[in-house]
Amino acid sequence: MNFDFALIMTSIPQLLEGIGLTFQLWFLSAILGLLLAIALMLMRISGKWFLYVPAMVYIYIFRGTPILVQIFIIYYGLPQVEFIRESFMWSILREPFGCGILALTLNTGAYVSEILRGGVLGVPKGLGEAAAALGISKVQRFIYITAPLAIRLSLPAYSNDVISLMKSTALVSTITLLDMMGIARIIVSETYAPYEIFISLMIIYLILTWTTQKIFALLERRMNRHTIQ
Amino acid sequence: MESLVGWWDDFFWGSVVVVQVFLVSLVLMVLFGLLGSAAKLSGNKVLHTIANGYTVVFRGTPEILVLLLFYFGSAITLTAIAQFFDPTIKFIDIPPFWAGSIAIGLVVGSYATETFRGAFLGVDPGQIEAARALGISNFKTFIYIRIPAMWRLALPSFGNHMLSLIKDTALISVIGLQETMFVAEQATGTTGEPFVMYLTVGAIYLAFSSIITLTVIGFEKYGNKHLEVGK
Repeated sequence: MNFDFALIMTSIPQLLEGIGLTFQLWFLSAILGLLLAIALMLMRISGKWFLYVPAMVYIYIFRGTPILVQIFIIYYGLPQVEFIRESFMWSILREPFGCGILALTLNTGAYVSEILRGGVLGVPKGLGEAAAALGISKVQRFIYITAPLAIRLSLPAYSNDVISLMKSTALVSTITLLDMMGIARIIVSETYAPYEIFISLMIIYLILTWTTQKIFALLERRMNRHTIQ
Repeated sequence: MESLVGWWDDFFWGSVVVVQVFLVSLVLMVLFGLLGSAAKLSGNKVLHTIANGYTVVFRGTPEILVLLLFYFGSAITLTAIAQFFDPTIKFIDIPPFWAGSIAIGLVVGSYATETFRGAFLGVDPGQIEAARALGISNFKTFIYIRIPAMWRLALPSFGNHMLSLIKDTALISVIGLQETMFVAEQATGTTGEPFVMYLTVGAIYLAFSSIITLTVIGFEKYGNKHLEVGK
């Protein structure tokens, strides 16, 4: 057993062939998940029990179970249910890619909605009251006063969740998708050189994490540029 | 539900394995977290760099990658060492139970490092100074003053780390640990009912995370008893 540096050099381009799929899974489920999270967060703060109770149950279930279990329920489990096979959903659930997107979206949506809710609750009450005193409508108050501040407050926690979503995309390799992780597992089974391949992949993921952190740090600085430092 | 008949005891023993992995990795997580935070707070440049590398690497890569690297890496290293002494040996690995527990202990330990570091920094420096003025030794200050003050601060994040631990145990089925995911896979092979089987696994994990959440709430109440006013 010896460490083969040449293998790292040859395997990195092979691994990078899967980065497109990793990005697709990551970005698509981040955007869809954010939309879901906004909907859940609005349900949660609506103050109407028939809206916030389902949202709470949803969040509780998706945050309380491992994402791998969610992926397996969707990929292996749902096709067993007859009415899903006959519905429009079948065109998505037939492909492992669709299952991956669906699982990642549903999972990240639950986490992000709690982050957004924290941001909304963190906005000082006085601002809303002042706006109400000026006769600004409830919807306008939310869009023009609460939301811009809540976005700034939730940005640091949101960036962590975007990174953890990126790490979760590696799990789709368990449902036959060939993202970077999937390719790495194939190369390892062929070459039996786990150190070289997996460490190369670690480096790629670390670069992705680092870049994401930097982008969010810049975004945060830009959004808070008016605040006195 | 009738497809579950005959599988209940398998799911039960699978859950026992989940609990065992959880407990072992919990101990490791606390250990790595304390070591990491101690290294970060030590003021020693070398230790600080090592701890920083540890948190950057393990917080920046997927858990499943750490797990596979640890399992397959240790297997080829051990096999190479064993073959050095006895060339007839074909393959040795660390049992998936231990490889998995150590891997997720390491990953979540890197998160715990930051939590513990923050909690230690959150302890009122006046208390440490008072202890020093009273001539209490560094070790005793650590045990009787820093620890009781910091665990209350660390508890909310620590609860989240425990939830990550219990959920990460599901990953260890990938390297062949016979826990609930593994049982579900086998049961699916026999009954052809993956939906029911994986839903059962989900329910088991939901129960575990509920227990952890309730326990943490209980500890938080206990820890902040002295802060309740006028009740």
